[in-house]
Amino acid sequence: MASFDSINYSLRPSKSVQRGLVFDGLRKLSNALDLSNAVYIGFGSIWFTDFVLAHKTLNIDDMVSIEANEIGFKRAQFNKSYRTITMMQGMSQDKLPEVLSMPGYLNRPWIVWLDYDSALNEGVVQDFQWTLNNAPPNSVLLFTFSATQNAYGDKPVQRPERLRSLLGDVVPDDLSKEDCSKENLPSVLAKLAMDYLKSEVADLARPGGLIEAFRVPYFDSVGMVTVGAVLPAVGAVPAARAVVSTGDWKCLVDEVIHAPQLTLREIAALQSELPPVGAITRTRVQELGFDLQDEQIQSFQKYYKYLPSFAEVVV
Amino acid sequence: MIPENRSKADANPTKAFFVRMITRDITLEDCIFDLIDNSIDGAWELAGGQPMSLDDNTDLSPYRISINVQNDGFLIQDNCGGITLDDAADYAFTFGRKDTAETENFSIGVYGIGMKRAVFKIGSDITIHSTFIDEGKPSSFCVPIKVDEWLTSKSEDWDFDIEAAPDLPSAGVKIQISNLTEVALRSFESPRFIQNLRRSISRDYALHLHRGLAIEVQGKPVSGWAIELRQGGDFLPMRATFTEQIQDEDVHVELLAGMAAAPPDSSEPSDDFDDALNRSGWYVVCNGRIVLAADKTSVTGWGTEGWPQWHPQYSGFMGLIVFASRRADLLPLTTTKRSVDETSAVYRQFRPKMRDATKEWISYTNARKQVRVEAVKREEFTKSVPIFEIVPRAEVALPRIAPTPKIPEANVLYSVPKARMLKLASALGNINMAYKDVGIQSFEYTYSDLVGEE
Repeated sequence: MASFDSINYSLRPSKSVQRGLVFDGLRKLSNALDLSNAVYIGFGSIWFTDFVLAHKTLNIDDMVSIEANEIGFKRAQFNKSYRTITMMQGMSQDKLPEVLSMPGYLNRPWIVWLDYDSALNEGVVQDFQWTLNNAPPNSVLLFTFSATQNAYGDKPVQRPERLRSLLGDVVPDDLSKEDCSKENLPSVLAKLAMDYLKSEVADLARPGGLIEAFRVPYFDSVGMVTVGAVLPAVGAVPAARAVVSTGDWKCLVDEVIHAPQLTLREIAALQSELPPVGAITRTRVQELGFDLQDEQIQSFQKYYKYLPSFAEVVV
Repeated sequence: MIPENRSKADANPTKAFFVRMITRDITLEDCIFDLIDNSIDGAWELAGGQPMSLDDNTDLSPYRISINVQNDGFLIQDNCGGITLDDAADYAFTFGRKDTAETENFSIGVYGIGMKRAVFKIGSDITIHSTFIDEGKPSSFCVPIKVDEWLTSKSEDWDFDIEAAPDLPSAGVKIQISNLTEVALRSFESPRFIQNLRRSISRDYALHLHRGLAIEVQGKPVSGWAIELRQGGDFLPMRATFTEQIQDEDVHVELLAGMAAAPPDSSEPSDDFDDALNRSGWYVVCNGRIVLAADKTSVTGWGTEGWPQWHPQYSGFMGLIVFASRRADLLPLTTTKRSVDETSAVYRQFRPKMRDATKEWISYTNARKQVRVEAVKREEFTKSVPIFEIVPRAEVALPRIAPTPKIPEANVLYSVPKARMLKLASALGNINMAYKDVGIQSFEYTYSDLVGEE
């Protein structure tokens, strides 16, 4: 079953935070590198949430959405939000090369966000390689994949070998099964995937190199990881580096984002305390009349600007 | 008539040509190894300078070499005694070994080019800082090298300036390099390069690390590869020692060979990583340093003189030939220390012995194809033994098994999408299970379900 049949993407709070952070970062990069002429390439599914953001906040018109599922493809064609979105039906490994023959696309930067439903697998790694090989200068690449531990081997002891078979020599010989536990795997995967991207770019000798820009582990019903990087033109390296190294660059996240599911009433109560004078404590939440776990409170106050508000509407 | 001022053709090399040439044919990793070799030569001398046989138990645990690479610099630091001021002034910075240079006992360095070549390969802003013990007291100096200025200076002499410097925490050498070359910059940005550097150090300095030497990369110690051969039942590795006299000097040679891992069940090439296959082959060690690892080429004899080319069927074989001499120039070292000098007389003398050991293994793996089940059973009786503990023995012993009457067999070959194979392997309990085993388990499962008991 395709994931759009089971999940309405707009209802996952951590996903919303991740998407908010990513577009916040892309907006800053777009200003520094002038990405308004960029092409957006992604998996729009039937919702096109990121495509709408790309158009509205980054002023991008030309977009490509890849969909493997046959019915999903038909629904995507029906639902596609703008005339300028080109739909491609098939697996990304087969369809990405077709982007090269789109007129003029090779002379414009790409923003590629491949937001997979699946765990890291051979196909995803193939997409890493292809995009690093082919993306024009000043492109931004983002990859999101599942960090569900069982997808890398049912038993923890099997997981280091599975990662080694996927990512090769960047995986340290002493990677332990503890590194691959449910709690540690998202950040370990984020680091190893980024190490892989860096090593590939070094081997390819891309003139502008690679600048690590996005690392967002988050948890909705399953652990997910987003990693991303800028592939600047030689002349744009200082500008890109400056954006990513400023204090208000929020897209290199160390802890796992765990946004709470809150009612409108709870959100209203918490929001009245924000922006906070000091950190909101659990005691304070209890004084407000309800209760939350510490990490939920922390995630909320750190990311409340990116959290969506939901209400069921009968139309 | 040739005019007086035209009677000689200028054949002096330019500095730029020289630097370009010496850094061209060596990898960055081997350059870093040249610097490690220099540190180890210092440590070995301080520790007594014995011939490095496998039985030698020189303690290197007081010595430490640490390497740090960053996007904008390289640093190597050791506590291995340092370069003395006299050596720096007269020898250490000379391009090529002077005839008057003293022979270092059992050193790895021999050509007098390693350090210069290494630093030029890495970057153009170099400081070599040494603290050494002079009449019981620490004494220090540094040699700053700005490569670009040195190359463009009009001066005819090639000398570097020696300057006063503060003492390092202990006698040793510290080399700092910034303004990295393109190749160093790119490699140091690659996490894969760093991981592979650790792996190569673990393998090529295994004999030093075994004696307690500490080598750290990015602050984390590298643990040495435990070199082991399998022993037990009918399997006995060879371990033989020899001493050759060359130019009135002793060259000690030790030869070990045997089974390091069981041969593969199938000799078909697989796209999966195979550790046993990667480790198989010949290893050549010169004064403690592995200069050729897991070699499967004509350099160690494969495919020459009636010796077959390497084939995955021979996977599992490991041989080591360990050379040691007070004079490193008598060993089959090349300048890059990444291969052996095949023209070396001492190396050629031992090639037939290497061939004999290899041939034993080749014929075992040939016979094994007929008696696989019985061979596997006997291989299971062996256990891995560190090479240091192997008992001397002139030849490799391998089982001789008579073929049993053959039951006709059927081979199955089919292809399925890889993703489905991985899902089934995972469902059978191990996502990394060999495809062949997934096939056999599926067959057995269906067989017992549909056919039932025999």
